[in-house]
Amino acid sequence: MIRLTHPFRVLIVEDEALLAMDIEALVEDAGHKVVGEAASVQELEALPLSAQPDLAFVDLQLAMGTNGLDAARLIHERWARAAVIFVTANPKKIPEDFAGAHGVIPKPFSRAGLTSALRYIEEGLTTPPPTSPLPASFIASPAFAASWEE
Amino acid sequence: MDQRDNWHLTDIIEHETGRGDPFAAAVRATRMPMIITDPRQDDNPIIFCNEAFQKLTGYDREEIIGTNCRFLQGPDTDREKVAEVRRAVEAGTDVAVDLLNYRKDGSTFWNALYVSPVRNKEGEIEFFFASQLDVSDRVEAQEAIARQKAEVEREVEARTVDLKAALDDKTLLLHEVDHRVKNNLTMIGSLLRLQARGISDPSILARLDAMLERIDALASVHRRLYQSDDVTRFDAGGFAVNLANDVVASSGRNEIAVESDVVPLDIASTNASALGLVLNEIVTNAVKHGFADGRAGTLTVTAQRDANRGTISVADDGPGFDPAVTSSDGLGSVLIRRLSRQIGADVTWAAAEPGTRVTIDFAMEQGAEVLAQAEGKS
Repeated sequence: MIRLTHPFRVLIVEDEALLAMDIEALVEDAGHKVVGEAASVQELEALPLSAQPDLAFVDLQLAMGTNGLDAARLIHERWARAAVIFVTANPKKIPEDFAGAHGVIPKPFSRAGLTSALRYIEEGLTTPPPTSPLPASFIASPAFAASWEE
Repeated sequence: MDQRDNWHLTDIIEHETGRGDPFAAAVRATRMPMIITDPRQDDNPIIFCNEAFQKLTGYDREEIIGTNCRFLQGPDTDREKVAEVRRAVEAGTDVAVDLLNYRKDGSTFWNALYVSPVRNKEGEIEFFFASQLDVSDRVEAQEAIARQKAEVEREVEARTVDLKAALDDKTLLLHEVDHRVKNNLTMIGSLLRLQARGISDPSILARLDAMLERIDALASVHRRLYQSDDVTRFDAGGFAVNLANDVVASSGRNEIAVESDVVPLDIASTNASALGLVLNEIVTNAVKHGFADGRAGTLTVTAQRDANRGTISVADDGPGFDPAVTSSDGLGSVLIRRLSRQIGADVTWAAAEPGTRVTIDFAMEQGAEVLAQAEGKS
């Protein structure tokens, strides 16, 4: 698998402006760079290919009646190497295969919860397997865990 | 004269009741319709019928004698039942069935037919004896009951469908409310975090952080309530462990271990948020003061039940009892005092040697809780 290097290029797909701003600030606090934001699948399509995100935080419920599962599919189509993390109040709606995503951060999240999840994801993508314990604020997909075995 | 011909004889001979063959006379005079058939003749014809049989069917004797019984059948007679009789006759066994039969005038009646073979000394079948009983009333009553039963079942099914739809609506609504509560809690958290960004004063930042922790505690209460099977009850024991783990994880203090020994303590869910906030103050206090300056150690959470009282205690292994921490200043202390009073709990601080143990003690009696709530509302 491709090992990423710090800092990550991060995409935020979230229809709630407050949450998008909050996640953006927390991501930047962790030293990463936000390369794009989208509130709907349409806005995601409008982003330039050059955005080249390494990591995308995706809400399940998006604007214009679109949803995060379609957004995740589109992200994987456009940027094959991008890791998707769902951020949702409804983790039960995520299919068993996580729609190809690396994991889920359930809402509501705390600053420490999102930060420790981000640290764990960072370790999983740069120097797997992660050395930090799996935080309660993050559910890793089976595929993400399997990628460390390689 | 052999026995076979006796029947013909009694049928032909005119005699008064009480004279001649008494058995034949009894059969002729009984109110139960009866016939005798001769299986040795072609098509097993009727060779004797009594008067009751003529009355039941409306046919004259001349029309009956010499014919097979099937003349009583009609369009709605159950063919399977007829076949059952035929099989029994062929096998030489007796049989009892309810058959729909037709009178001469075309009207129908339910015939409780009983057919049995009559054997001679050698065991050979010489006759079949059949008795009939008009059981129309019984069969119709059974049919009416069956119709009513089917009707009731249809109604029950219709109501079950309605109830299921109502339940589905309720479940959908509950999911929607849960989703909105979570989204609102997330947004409140985001708002406070965004507000905190421009602030450099550490004492204000600390207060904002404390508010965020309280909101996280409420979110934990909501999560636990929503995930439980019974939204009216809340396991305070299990929650205390969850909360301690959440608070320690949120603090990013990996050097603090959480140990627990709890039993389930079900309380009314109306008290869950208040108890959640009290526990949050106690646990965050312990993390801040019991493990100050990055000190590593163990936070111990226990929950016990003794008769009608529940006890939750949170103990650190830090420097010990510090009166400053438990002074009545600050929102944290006020919250502990007022909210514990609201739910009828006593909170006490004690030296744990080492460290400090805070104990919440409250009544578990369900009746008392319900009563207290009812009084509170009136």
